[in-house]
Amino acid sequence: MLQILIYGAVSSAIYAMLAVGFTLIFGVARILNLAHGAFYALGAYSAYVFTSLLGFPLLIAAPLAVLLVAGFGVLMERFLVRPLRSSQLAVLMITLAVSLAVEQALFITFGSEYRNVPSFVADKLTIGGVDIGGQRLLALVMGVLVLLLLWLFIQRTRLGAAILAVSQDPEAAQYMGIPTNRIFSIVMAISAGTAALAGILVSPFLTVQPTMGLLPMVKAFAIVIVGGLGSIPGSIIASLILGYSETIVAYLISTSWTELVSLVAVVVTLMIRPAGILGRRAAF
Amino acid sequence: MSDLLEVNGVTKRFGGLTAVKNASFTLKKGDFTGILGPNGAGKTTLFNILTGFMPPTSGTIHFNGELVRELAPYKVVNRGMARTFQLTRPFIGMNLLENVLVACMSPRAKEDKDKEERARHLLAQVGLGGRDKEPVETLPYGDLRRLEIARALATRPDLLLLDEPFAGLGSSEIEQLAQLIRRLHREENLTILLIEHKLREFMALVSRVIAMNFGEIIAVGPPEEIVKNEKVIEAYIGKTEDAHASA
Amino acid sequence: MKRIAPIDIIGGIIVVAILAAIPAVTGSNYLTGVLTVCVIYGIWASSWDFMSGLTGRENFGHSLFIGAGAYTAGFLSSLWAANPWYSLPLAVVVAVAFAVLVGFPTLRLRGPYFALAMLSTSAILQRLCLIFWEYTGGEEGIYGLDPLMKSPLYYYWFALGILVITVIVLTLLARSHWGLLLRAIRGDEATCQAAGINVTFYKIVSLMISAAFAGLGGALYAHYQLQVSPPLFSVIVSITVIIMVYVGGIGSIYGAAVAAILLTLLTEMLRGFGEYRLWIYTLTLMLILFFLPNGLIAPLWRRMTERLR
Repeated sequence: MLQILIYGAVSSAIYAMLAVGFTLIFGVARILNLAHGAFYALGAYSAYVFTSLLGFPLLIAAPLAVLLVAGFGVLMERFLVRPLRSSQLAVLMITLAVSLAVEQALFITFGSEYRNVPSFVADKLTIGGVDIGGQRLLALVMGVLVLLLLWLFIQRTRLGAAILAVSQDPEAAQYMGIPTNRIFSIVMAISAGTAALAGILVSPFLTVQPTMGLLPMVKAFAIVIVGGLGSIPGSIIASLILGYSETIVAYLISTSWTELVSLVAVVVTLMIRPAGILGRRAAF
Repeated sequence: MSDLLEVNGVTKRFGGLTAVKNASFTLKKGDFTGILGPNGAGKTTLFNILTGFMPPTSGTIHFNGELVRELAPYKVVNRGMARTFQLTRPFIGMNLLENVLVACMSPRAKEDKDKEERARHLLAQVGLGGRDKEPVETLPYGDLRRLEIARALATRPDLLLLDEPFAGLGSSEIEQLAQLIRRLHREENLTILLIEHKLREFMALVSRVIAMNFGEIIAVGPPEEIVKNEKVIEAYIGKTEDAHASA
Repeated sequence: MKRIAPIDIIGGIIVVAILAAIPAVTGSNYLTGVLTVCVIYGIWASSWDFMSGLTGRENFGHSLFIGAGAYTAGFLSSLWAANPWYSLPLAVVVAVAFAVLVGFPTLRLRGPYFALAMLSTSAILQRLCLIFWEYTGGEEGIYGLDPLMKSPLYYYWFALGILVITVIVLTLLARSHWGLLLRAIRGDEATCQAAGINVTFYKIVSLMISAAFAGLGGALYAHYQLQVSPPLFSVIVSITVIIMVYVGGIGSIYGAAVAAILLTLLTEMLRGFGEYRLWIYTLTLMLILFFLPNGLIAPLWRRMTERLR
């Protein structure tokens, strides 16, 4: 029971990191970023490159990787997405193109074998009789920390208030003198950065291969649909629901059935309350 | 004769803001009524609620004796209530005929076997006859308004709601449009509910006025009485006094 | 409603004649096979164009219908060893069922729900094929399907025939009052509502039509490859189809079909590039999005035949 509680929390925290970044950039800039999974993968691979190939210590490699991917995200938004903002279809397509291009680039560069990223914390801990890898625990702690910081940032700082303003009404925000384009870049950096961080944290215990971003992407979609597009609290709640459901299913039935959880969650949400738990009314 | 439209205690709240407060009025068949009020009085919100584009927070609407509740806008239209938009939104990339043709595909226009013919007839009715192939992008404002009306007429409405049809038009265009609306009211047996800002043209057209301010209906009556109504004067003059004060 | 110009019909006849003649003239089985895949992609592309090209509601999971049709053919062949000809209508039914399943809850919503749901569903189905490998054959999928015809040449002509029917039917629909409504929906849904049009109904039905042809194409593909596997549900297939439509010119239907044929041929010729093929796809997509948003094929054809209209 305790095992489920802890492992479920780990899953939820990681999903939450991914989903929040995704819903954030949508809520603020109306960008459905299909390259989000690519950021996740790039985070993991960057950490790999910095540690295994360049020999940096993990404590330096990780922040570097996050910054690198955040920068990549900002560049992508600035030069590939912004010119096409007038068409949602074009934005979807270009981010999808980026995601495929990244996947292919990783494949060509690193091949399809799994790579290894060393753990931050190599020891196993025992909590209440339950064995859990230190790395997983770290992922949980970091996840919660990051989300907390993000929440405080948005609620308490002026920049955060500006972000909220832009997400409610970009035009009005512009009239008030808020530099919306710069806000888009900042939010993109946060979104990409959190995705990269998630990738770095899980890479020691999940497989690192070029297509690693696809599945988390699908899960992030499911979470965001269930929680409500554009709502951060909604994503967090939905992450908990999905994270725990998956863990329970994995323990009671089998690990291969966990995919069904996302599917069922999406289907149920669309049938009963399409806007999601905390989404605004989305119907006509 | 029963009422065509019966609005009872309709209220609309957006978070902390009450856009429409307890609006109640009735329209009889053949009426030509106008809703008057300064900007932000809640007129367009009321229209949106009546036509299904927005649900009311509370209150009821009966059209032709039937309760209208949480209906999608197209269903409201198919019950016989059509509307025009303040900011006309024609179908870009199509010509005039096609714009009206779309509305001729609605269920209420089912009896018309030759849809093109009906669309042409409607265009002629609003004074745009013979200009079928013109692209809609190059149409001047006044003609766009006529197009809107043609499209609304295509659905054979019992009640036509016009949202500020004279906005942005010059005085001669207004006069022509007013004549058209008057003619349609007579010839098509339409009941009309009109929102307008421009007092003069408005008073000359309608036979009954519903005055609104800050979301509430403050007065109802024929034009001659309304202009003398204290609350209405305060609503309009009060605004200009404020404007003078801050100048 | 919109009359189809005689020059378009003549152009179409010429193209079809050439396509039909090539394998017969060259006698190459290889070419016949490649062209069969080309025309099937043509069916997939034109079916996508009909719904998403006209209504502007982006369908990011067309592979859902393709895979559904293909796997229906696969199951029919392997589980029930039925007459393979039954798979064609059955594939259509299954694909349409999926269209209703996903389209009904999501098409009545504003926002990107439809696009996301289609993408997610096709991805999830791909995973499901791998998870339930005992029933679906997992990675390798189902193989050993019965071919519909003994002669590859006749099968190619059959598939070509289906493509011709597809393009004709979809073009007629697109030029009719139906198509006008779909384009109006793309223009402004609110105005359509104000015109008394049940917008959701038309969107769902056009998705069903799109799915029907895509599923049919899927079954045709299954009976050509004689094998079905999970990549048929992948996002790569979906995006390939979208690229083809973009190159062809969104909304033209015939443009999508022609572009599909040309691009598939091109892909075949680029086979030597191996992994870089996907890069070329994505680069092409980006180039088109930035420089040729109206496509290549349809605008080119229209420009070439301006005087003959």
